[in-house]
Amino acid sequence: MSTTTLRVRNAPGCRVDAARLLPGALAALTVAEIGRIVLPAGNERCAAGDVFDISRTEGDAAALEIEGDVPWLDRLGAHLAEGRIDVRGSSGDHTGFRMTGGELRIDGNSGDFTGCQMSGGRLTVGGHSGDFAAGPLPGDMEGMTGGTLTIRGNTGARLGDRMRRGLVLVGGDAGECAASRLVAGTIGIAGKLAPHFGYGMRRGTLLLAQPPACLPPTFSDGGQGFDVFWSLFVRSLAAEIAPFSTLKGSTLPRRYTGDLAVDGRGELLLVG
Amino acid sequence: MQINDTLIDDTFAEAFPMKATRLVITAHTPVWANHAAQSLTGFATSVIGCGCEAGIERELGCHETPDGRPGVAVLLFAVSTKELAKQVERRVGQCVLTCPTTAVYSGIDPATSRAPLSDNAPLGSSLRFFGDGWQISKMLGGTRYWRVPVMDGEFVAEESAVTVKAVGGGNLLLLARDTDAALRVAESAVQAMRRLPNVIMPFPGGVVRSGSKVGSKYAAAPASTNDAFCPTLVGLSPKSELDAEVGCVLEIVIDGLTDSDVGAAMTAGITAAAGLGRAGGVLRISAGNYGGKLGPYHFHLRQLAAGVEGRRA
Repeated sequence: MSTTTLRVRNAPGCRVDAARLLPGALAALTVAEIGRIVLPAGNERCAAGDVFDISRTEGDAAALEIEGDVPWLDRLGAHLAEGRIDVRGSSGDHTGFRMTGGELRIDGNSGDFTGCQMSGGRLTVGGHSGDFAAGPLPGDMEGMTGGTLTIRGNTGARLGDRMRRGLVLVGGDAGECAASRLVAGTIGIAGKLAPHFGYGMRRGTLLLAQPPACLPPTFSDGGQGFDVFWSLFVRSLAAEIAPFSTLKGSTLPRRYTGDLAVDGRGELLLVG
Repeated sequence: MQINDTLIDDTFAEAFPMKATRLVITAHTPVWANHAAQSLTGFATSVIGCGCEAGIERELGCHETPDGRPGVAVLLFAVSTKELAKQVERRVGQCVLTCPTTAVYSGIDPATSRAPLSDNAPLGSSLRFFGDGWQISKMLGGTRYWRVPVMDGEFVAEESAVTVKAVGGGNLLLLARDTDAALRVAESAVQAMRRLPNVIMPFPGGVVRSGSKVGSKYAAAPASTNDAFCPTLVGLSPKSELDAEVGCVLEIVIDGLTDSDVGAAMTAGITAAAGLGRAGGVLRISAGNYGGKLGPYHFHLRQLAAGVEGRRA
């Protein structure tokens, strides 16, 4: 196996589809062959060698490293099943689209639809992400269905829309309608929440490290007696980002259930 | 072979393939975890009449359980995966779900199990229906748990329990001078065996006095008393293997996750029994078998006793 490094040479001035740049596929190609990979760019096409300087180092596992900001590079890590992708900068929209495994790390920011419909693997964004993270494509019934999405900074609107399974952790603030239409799964938000969070939430868990300005009117008190689940939950977060990793099993959060306008079996856990 | 003047018979125990699982039961206090475990493993001495053989493997500290509470590990053995699944569902449903503050988890790690894996047995996936629609499932770290609302809060159960291909029916027959000596040696042997992992002794106190043979003069009875080892039948039963010196025989049955676990437990039992020796009233150590034709696992006593310390003859 080998590590392929793409260093940004020229930003193309249009959006480029990076779905073909998967570490396993690149490991089987020579540097020259990688340079000839044609990437869709709107109505145009461009060769990978036109926008990147390409180099190769041998290693134990298939990996792809992209050095430099690539906010014009969409669908990076789309359908990723194995291997590792590291971006030393920011990425574009649909980062990690429908990824099923492997690891994708973005040091900078990511665009809209980050982790859209991902079902496995681990996607980490060191900066901020755009709208619709962990959500579905417009018109689709399910958003994220597995894996772990970590956003260390802020995220935009509609985080986890129609999400069904998996774990999303946000180290910063979340935009409007976080966890909207949540079917199941877990979302943790460390920062502030914009209005309308939990709108249409059917099941699942929304963990808040800071109390929101006000609770949605369609949520009710969730009672007590969930200490065993809380202990399991806290232990499962021990390896994740702070403040979720520092939660104590002995300190129960406040629990609310909702959205009562729909199924109403979702839970809102307020820590502190 | 004699160790401390106790005769080790030149025979073997014959054991059979079974399906097994380990359940970890936790509770708010060790007392309640034990209540649930005792209840779950009750009436589970023999697959002949109980559906499964079950016992408490050991108590678990808070650092050993998935939820950080005190717990108990129990092992259940049955003749098939289907019967094991049925017994798990019934026993957990009636004895753990009902017990205050308890939770239940699968206790076998597929990644480290030395026993070959078998099909999973439903755990929370079948008990969840008690929730009448209010139950919640939660995936945490790749494991699905069910949260069923009950009157003390929530009953948490892992989705399913890993089962393995295991070994049941390892045994030791302890032939003693009288009842006191037989009880003393049986208790000592069981105590030694209980220190080992992956095994249970399913009978009351780990000991059975009604050793059986296959078949009966009565057509309806699949098994009947082991007349070869009944002290009141010395000189009466043509199959008797006892002499007039033997006043009491007790048997220890051992089920284990692997044949090496059963063998290790039998060795520990022989060591404890032979340690008491003839001076302690232990005259012979024997084992039950069916001529070697029924069970694929044969535990030869003299091989197991080869490394046991003591005065040899």
